[in-house]
Amino acid sequence: MSADISIDFGKEVLDRVLRRGVEEGLVRLQERSYELIVFDNGVLRSYGISKVVGIGIQVFVNGFTGYSYTSSLSLDSIENTVDRAIKNAKALANVAKPRRFAEVSGVKGFYRTSYAEDPFAVDPSDKISLVRDLNVGSMKFSNIVSAVTRFACERDRRVVVSSRGVEVFNEVTAVGLSHMAVARSGEVMERVYDQKTFVGGYEHVKRFDWHGFVDEVNDLAVKASQARAPKAGVYRAVIDNELIGLMLHEAFGHASEGDLVLYNASVLRGRIGEKVASELVTIVDDGRVDGGYPVYYDDEGVEKRQTVVVERGVLRRHLSSRYVAGELGIELTGNARAQDITFNAIVRQTNFYMLPGDAKVEELFEGVSEGIYLRGRGAMGGQVDPSMGTFTFSVGPSYTIKNGEVDKLVRGVTVSGNILDVLKSVEIVANDLKVSTSVFGGCGKSSQLARVGDGGPHVRVAKIVVGGE
Amino acid sequence: MDLIDMVVKGVRKAEQLGASEAEVYIVREYSTSITGDSRGVESILSGESISAFVRVVIGKRLSVQGAMMSKPSDIETLVENAVKIARASPEDPNWVSLPKRISSSQIMDIVDERVKSPDIEFYTQIVKEALGKPSEISRNVLVNQAGVSLSFSERAIGNSYSSPISYEKTDFVFGIEVKAVGEGSESSFHSYYNAPTLKEFKMDKVVEEATKIALSTLKAKPVETGVYKVVFTPRVFASILQALIVPAVRADMVQKKRSPLANKLFSEVLSQQLTVIDDGAAPNMPGSGPFDDEGVATKRKTVFDRGVLRTYLYDTYTANIDGRESTGNARRSGSSNTFPDATNIIVLPGTEPLDSIIRDVRRGIIVYGTIGEWLSNAVSGFLNATVTHGLLIEGGEIKQAVKGVVISGDIYKILKDNLIGISKEFDAVSNYLVPAIAVDGVTVAGEGSGQRF
Repeated sequence: MSADISIDFGKEVLDRVLRRGVEEGLVRLQERSYELIVFDNGVLRSYGISKVVGIGIQVFVNGFTGYSYTSSLSLDSIENTVDRAIKNAKALANVAKPRRFAEVSGVKGFYRTSYAEDPFAVDPSDKISLVRDLNVGSMKFSNIVSAVTRFACERDRRVVVSSRGVEVFNEVTAVGLSHMAVARSGEVMERVYDQKTFVGGYEHVKRFDWHGFVDEVNDLAVKASQARAPKAGVYRAVIDNELIGLMLHEAFGHASEGDLVLYNASVLRGRIGEKVASELVTIVDDGRVDGGYPVYYDDEGVEKRQTVVVERGVLRRHLSSRYVAGELGIELTGNARAQDITFNAIVRQTNFYMLPGDAKVEELFEGVSEGIYLRGRGAMGGQVDPSMGTFTFSVGPSYTIKNGEVDKLVRGVTVSGNILDVLKSVEIVANDLKVSTSVFGGCGKSSQLARVGDGGPHVRVAKIVVGGE
Repeated sequence: MDLIDMVVKGVRKAEQLGASEAEVYIVREYSTSITGDSRGVESILSGESISAFVRVVIGKRLSVQGAMMSKPSDIETLVENAVKIARASPEDPNWVSLPKRISSSQIMDIVDERVKSPDIEFYTQIVKEALGKPSEISRNVLVNQAGVSLSFSERAIGNSYSSPISYEKTDFVFGIEVKAVGEGSESSFHSYYNAPTLKEFKMDKVVEEATKIALSTLKAKPVETGVYKVVFTPRVFASILQALIVPAVRADMVQKKRSPLANKLFSEVLSQQLTVIDDGAAPNMPGSGPFDDEGVATKRKTVFDRGVLRTYLYDTYTANIDGRESTGNARRSGSSNTFPDATNIIVLPGTEPLDSIIRDVRRGIIVYGTIGEWLSNAVSGFLNATVTHGLLIEGGEIKQAVKGVVISGDIYKILKDNLIGISKEFDAVSNYLVPAIAVDGVTVAGEGSGQRF
């Protein structure tokens, strides 16, 4: 048996599983390498490479499922892992009621990110000097008191093979750079963070203007530290690509996840066919969109394509896994994802975003006598309750809008409300779709982190609650 | 794979490749988790993994790497990469050395045979029983989720100065989330228990706590904005210590000037009623182990003695900078260098029963649950958290359930001048063993609820 992360090896392991007389078996193989270089205030803080490797085995025995994993690829470990998975399924059969799993058809598929230059093979000193130059340069920027610059690259190779004929290979390579600058003006400190990730190789890093990118972050931090907070109140608002993506993913995307629907923890439960947004709004979850994180097949080997969640304002679907689709009696959408082999797959978004409309971005500002232009860059996060649809976000440095024009920069902006109210008040949708992902973070759920993408076009909403002074 | 062999092999390989110092730390972990929901036991998952962490030093050039091991020779690849990166890295002027001596402390109750070799049936029964319990207590309570997770780990470490040492440890977690429904209102609460052994585990107590709090916080609503007396239950007090006090006593934070307790050694910064201990060798606590993540023996130290700051928490790197000895608090996460962190935090209890403290509060809020402590600022010591579960007390009587209010204030003022009382009862909240406290002068304001991201 040649132990590498390939479909052939997966099939060999599957053979061993099926020899044990189980009804159904699924084998997940994974190897993920992650390299991270961090410069903090001019000093190399860390240069680490971490790696996850192993096999996960799911079996079905008398209608019950058991899962087990091992990081060791030795024959003994694999046999022990099969034993444990079968033991777990049998133990479950003693205490539980059977659960329904949706049927899958045997997909055979292959995806591998193409790249010209392997980022892991680039000389470490080249990568160190790139990050150091950017970080040290930022510290010389007037009013910047602290800066953290990071480079990361990742390769995540996943194989799924099952007795239902699934044989899929999904390998993603991504590179990125992030920068966080803290500026001080008098007593005010303001922090701005941004990152840029490319799905592909080091050639993207060489081509991109990183000095321009870092300068923009530094400049925004300095200007924001000199800006004032907006007046609190209800505003007509233009929301940029980045912020609409963040809001949709957190406040709407999670609520559309079928497991939350199953556990009665979603505001979108029982609302299929109902109007949940303005008819200008169409929202999709798509594993294959440009700029997003590639998920061509999920961790159950189900093909992931574009899933329309909201179509012209009407809720059409929830996202699902085999278990959720079986229990809720809904279609499979290819959203079963696991952080790595040490976890079983649960329902996750892939790239969740709003489809573009017809308007030019300028048209969104026309006729707005007093409003706010909410920006995503530098957003610090927030809180959502998917069972209610309520949210509070701390957004990035933004601008006031006066008589149809972008006016003054404002800082310390928070927005809050109910996502369904906000989506129902969408007035115009621009034509500038932008979807992005990040190699520095992702979405956390049930202690598992998943890489995701989000975005959308610029949109204008009639009203949103803005906190400020 | 023999862990000690891998450590020896790794250290030797690094030295052969030109490292002036090398350290290899290996963790083998077996884990099992069983979860259930309102319809019964839902899933059983188990597995094993071996992870290795290496630190390689060439002069003052340092490289730290971590990886899961799929075969014994992976350690050599990891060390080769580490040496390559160390050569390309700039010098760290603060680097002195890896720990010159590694050793172990004696600890009781960190291995339970029932967790080390789990009988799956025994644990599925615990989950099944837990799932049925809340509705026995009240018809208005449902279970959202319940589960147990077990782990058994073996840890071995060695470096260029000392032969490898190792230890075994188990970890048991039980958790339950219940939802109370009534009079057009819903309230969920999550309770849990975590310790190396099952010795002190009482499932009924955990389930009853979750059920009681979910029921009593039905129809919760915000209270009027104002300054209130507040009782923090052990769980909430533990989360405040974790968000604000522990970061402030970490020597790395002090050295980077990110702590309000810099230059405060031997000053009274908390109330004289508060004595706070960090003890990495405490029996049956999740943060215990014979040595820390770089092989330094763990020990008990008083961090705040009757309010006076006695020491910061050190690993070898930060101790070298201050010309001191490590306090046995090194921790590592992934492929990062070590950093000092709390092991187990123990706050000495008071003498008054909690009931009489609550009676004396007259008008105030008892806080059972909060979210968003992350909005607190450990650099300034400013507390900020949203109350998800609380009760408003007036004249010693419960007036209403409270949620969606934000509590805030300067934690050093709150825990020094505004501390009213410390209960004699205390609770184990994961690696915190703390009483409840009553404080005055907490600002309560605003609205908002939900989960953080």
